[in-house]
Amino acid sequence: MDVTLLLLALFSTVGLVFTYLAVTERDLVRAIIYSAVQSSAYAVLLYLLRAPDIVLVYIPVSVGLYPAALLFLVGKTEKVDGE
Amino acid sequence: MRRVIVAVSIAASVALLAYTTTVAGALGYLGLETRTLARMFLALTYNPDLRELTAMSPEAVTAIVWDFRGVDTLYETVVFYMAIIAALAIYRGVSRVSGGGGVGLSLIVRVVTKLLIPMNIAIAVSIAVHGHLTPGGGFQAGATLAVISVLLAVVYSVNSFSRVGVDISKAVALRSAGLIAIAIVVFTPLIYSALTGAQAYLMQSYVKVDSGFYFPVDVFGQLISGTLIWLNTAEFLAVSFGFFIVFMLLSLREEIVKQSLLGEGRGS
Repeated sequence: MDVTLLLLALFSTVGLVFTYLAVTERDLVRAIIYSAVQSSAYAVLLYLLRAPDIVLVYIPVSVGLYPAALLFLVGKTEKVDGE
Repeated sequence: MRRVIVAVSIAASVALLAYTTTVAGALGYLGLETRTLARMFLALTYNPDLRELTAMSPEAVTAIVWDFRGVDTLYETVVFYMAIIAALAIYRGVSRVSGGGGVGLSLIVRVVTKLLIPMNIAIAVSIAVHGHLTPGGGFQAGATLAVISVLLAVVYSVNSFSRVGVDISKAVALRSAGLIAIAIVVFTPLIYSALTGAQAYLMQSYVKVDSGFYFPVDVFGQLISGTLIWLNTAEFLAVSFGFFIVFMLLSLREEIVKQSLLGEGRGS
């Protein structure tokens, strides 16, 4: 079996699991970290799908800037959802 | 019970999506055939034999983004420009980025970050100026450089912006410089056309069938791909300092923002 396909399956499963964790987690800071892990898995997927241009913009935006923007916003509200 | 339903529905959606995109061929059989459009771009992206059609850049994505569909990218840049203007309008009157007595994170984190920042700058510049040769380009490089603004705010506290000499007005000036540079590159063919009477098109990078105008394609034997290197570098400035502005504003303490907004309301 093709190694690329195996890696695609592995990293998309990791992405799926962390998406689920991010959606269900009530502690917002943890949810943001889960979301960043999911983005890292997606970055690998994009690289495996031969889209290095997208990887280069996806990593700084989805792992750096986007969680940072969310953390700044969470810092201005409550840390736990629904209270 | 609820968890079981969630797990089953997720598994079913994944299986369905995997089936439609692979076996059922909803996206075409991936990797087995190259579509005509893709073949056309691959043949034209760097092809000195077809001078009227090529973009003269071996990096097909940048060639598409800034040449084949350059006007699209121009409008994307305008959208980003408007978004930053909106942020600046909301935070109007806030000119100094400082506040709180924060000193940032521990010494270990600060030292590691100090080592990372020069690497980050080097990689960002390299992504920008090699954008026409290797994967990357202005937006990618700008996003990479913008990570520094987050590192400064989180690791060294908000006060570090003024310590390293970056403030909002400087960031706005640098971003505007990038946008003006893009405008100059875009309008140069039209100015050339107005001055000489020769045919030239907006955003033209290389010779066309009825126009001999072109930007230099190489300098001392190094490929610079016409307008692509200039547009990438200018976009790099515009995007990175656009993000810098947003993160400087976001990292401000609410009390300080409210103070300056209320100050405006009182007419002072």
